[in-house]
Amino acid sequence: MNDFAYHRPHSVADALRLMSEVPGARFIAGGTDVMVKFNAGAPRPQSLISLRAIPELSGIELGEPTSIGASTTISDLLGQAELCERYPLLAQAARCLGGPQIRNVATIGGNLCNCSPCADTAPALLAIEARVRLASPAGEREIALEDFMSGPGQTCSPPDEILTQVLLPKTPPGARGIYFKKGRVRMDLAIVSLAALVVSRGDELRHVRLAAGSVAPVCLRLRAAEDLLTGERVTHELLARAVRAAMEAVTPIDDLRASADYRRRLVGVYLRRAIESILNWSEP
Amino acid sequence: MMRIAFSCNDKPVEVEIEEHQRLIDVLRDQLGLYGTKEGCGRGECGACTVIVEGRAVNSCLYPAPEIEGKSVVTIEGLQGPDNRLSALQRSFVEHGGIQCGFCTPGMIMSARALLDENPHPDKDEIRKALAGNLCRCTGYVQIVDSISHAGGGDENDGV
Repeated sequence: MNDFAYHRPHSVADALRLMSEVPGARFIAGGTDVMVKFNAGAPRPQSLISLRAIPELSGIELGEPTSIGASTTISDLLGQAELCERYPLLAQAARCLGGPQIRNVATIGGNLCNCSPCADTAPALLAIEARVRLASPAGEREIALEDFMSGPGQTCSPPDEILTQVLLPKTPPGARGIYFKKGRVRMDLAIVSLAALVVSRGDELRHVRLAAGSVAPVCLRLRAAEDLLTGERVTHELLARAVRAAMEAVTPIDDLRASADYRRRLVGVYLRRAIESILNWSEP
Repeated sequence: MMRIAFSCNDKPVEVEIEEHQRLIDVLRDQLGLYGTKEGCGRGECGACTVIVEGRAVNSCLYPAPEIEGKSVVTIEGLQGPDNRLSALQRSFVEHGGIQCGFCTPGMIMSARALLDENPHPDKDEIRKALAGNLCRCTGYVQIVDSISHAGGGDENDGV
């Protein structure tokens, strides 16, 4: 414990340099997940390198793509009216993330790097087809968020790499999004979550992106259901097939918050509800 | 060990800390500000809520080195110079917003952060602002009433 060190670099370059020089170091952003683990007695790394005092990691640039600095807090993200107007699906999911005290500190990058299957921003960002920018001593790279998340608490990114930006492509014109989250109360960890981003014309589905949380080791796209729905007119029969496809695609577990069976059924319910409510909204 | 300087309840402070300490440890153990409570240590109960740079945060999840150069307000910072309770605190007393009192400092700090941003919140806004604070005694009704009545009232106290 005596050797423990806490570093607060002011640039990504300094953070990367520290990581290569300081033995046993890990990065920390808002800390709202990792501090819970330390408080519960989990071993601390030898040192922590904070990403909170790095100006280039916070802030939002609207454009194509829109770029969100990884250390942007959930509250700062929600405070950006124009971002929330362009990506209401992301805003809806962000509002469900924890209580105010958590949102004031938790960062969007941290939510993704912690890679919990119940991360609130992940299903929305998957439906938006977000990408992430990563920086390491070897240079920068950009990958799809879907490829970044590899397992519960695991990303494909090595520990000496920093998630610097979350990149949001422009959503297709007329796209409507909805985020459903099952919890006992809104700030709970999701028992099941589902994000949908849909472009429709009348009852014809032109563009369908579906992603779910808390029903697999990582948040995942429901591609089989997307493929069934895209380009089709909605019927009860079609929805039933999409619901079946989604229920087959997920691999939920039993835990203290819900059974696997309940979670599987709820994904189907949310999928149906998402398509039905988005179509109603788009009716002339 | 490292030395950090920050503003606590509008006074500059400088303390020697261990790098692994949390903000709540510095407030309680080093500065003797025992109003801030640790409940769950998990960011669920909000008993440890303080205001950092104008925003409510859980001090049990806040690494102490991060407070360097920032400003923190605790429950002790709300009362006036003559130790009179602020209007918000009096409202909790008058409307029965307190039973055992353990959650109260956190509740009041969340309410303070809300009122600073939105001086006249409706009950729905109050409930949302308290979503990260648990009370195991009351049914929250009197707490929401206390904040509702205090809405905007604190300016009169110069707090």
